[in-house]
Amino acid sequence: MKKKLFKIASITALAGLIIGGGAMLYMFNMPHRDIQSAKVDYALTSTQIVSEYLSDKDAANEKYLAADGDSKILEVTGIVSKISEDFNNQKVVLLKGNNDKAGVNAVFTAETNTNASNLKVGETITVKGVIRSGASYDDDLELYENVILEKSDIVQN
Amino acid sequence: MKKVSILLSSLLMLLTISAYGQTNDKLVSSKTHMKFYSHTAVEDIEANNYASVSTINTETGEVVFSVPMQSFEFEKSQMQKHYNSDKFLDTKEYPKAKLKGKITKLSDVDFTKDGKYSVLVEGELTIKEKTNTITEKGTIDVKGNTINVQSKFNINLADYGITFAKGKPSTNIAKEVEVTVHSEYSAE
Repeated sequence: MKKKLFKIASITALAGLIIGGGAMLYMFNMPHRDIQSAKVDYALTSTQIVSEYLSDKDAANEKYLAADGDSKILEVTGIVSKISEDFNNQKVVLLKGNNDKAGVNAVFTAETNTNASNLKVGETITVKGVIRSGASYDDDLELYENVILEKSDIVQN
Repeated sequence: MKKVSILLSSLLMLLTISAYGQTNDKLVSSKTHMKFYSHTAVEDIEANNYASVSTINTETGEVVFSVPMQSFEFEKSQMQKHYNSDKFLDTKEYPKAKLKGKITKLSDVDFTKDGKYSVLVEGELTIKEKTNTITEKGTIDVKGNTINVQSKFNINLADYGITFAKGKPSTNIAKEVEVTVHSEYSAE
């Protein structure tokens, strides 16, 4: 009887160890969230999100930013006003309304870059990406900072 | 007639110069790279950020970097989550960090002449609303209309209220983290 109990206990402990260890290993090696296949949290225009940020930055941060960095996934529609490239060779497409003080900088990835290569300034597009920071006026820079959207790709309509 | 055209062209020249001078006062860069590097015997951790905005005022020597903290990317997603959390940088509460400094001997730098200039920047670094004074070396590389700024310095995490008493972070994250900055400005 004692032997059996010991056997059960040790099997349980072993199983626990394997499951726990596996879970820890999984957690440790868990891949980054796949933004493009994830569900869209908010669909809006570049003008809308910029004005939301410029009228109340704290409320907007509360709404869009997540404490663990997995912030809201947005689908943003706007006019292409500038196309550039960052130091990581990622395309950066600025969506900005003609009368807006700031816009949305959509940063593409190595995988999605080609989708941004045929864009032209002036056309209206929709991009999907994760928000990293909001728009605001910075007193030290003396300019308006754009909303930053990363892991972006174009949404085909 | 000749007089008028001379007057007109000189006026035009003056206008061009003043317009050029105005846009030239402040260089703006949104092409930036900022890197955190932590080295311990257990592991090396690196995070990269390509989304900062920076300005240099060529008249006053003021240098500003605004850093969106959630744009730092780590190889492991678990690390990134931990970095963003309220135990570490609390990026939801403090979405931006700022570096505000001044080139100490601005007269050594000629932003209109090609060359590599070594500079010292004195100023303040604010992370999580904790501000510390910094004095760091950097280089300004002027090549035509393109100006590249590079700097590498160390920051003490405890100075910004980031401490780990126990567990994995206390052994795997260095107390002092190396920060590399690179930004490119174009004088238009």
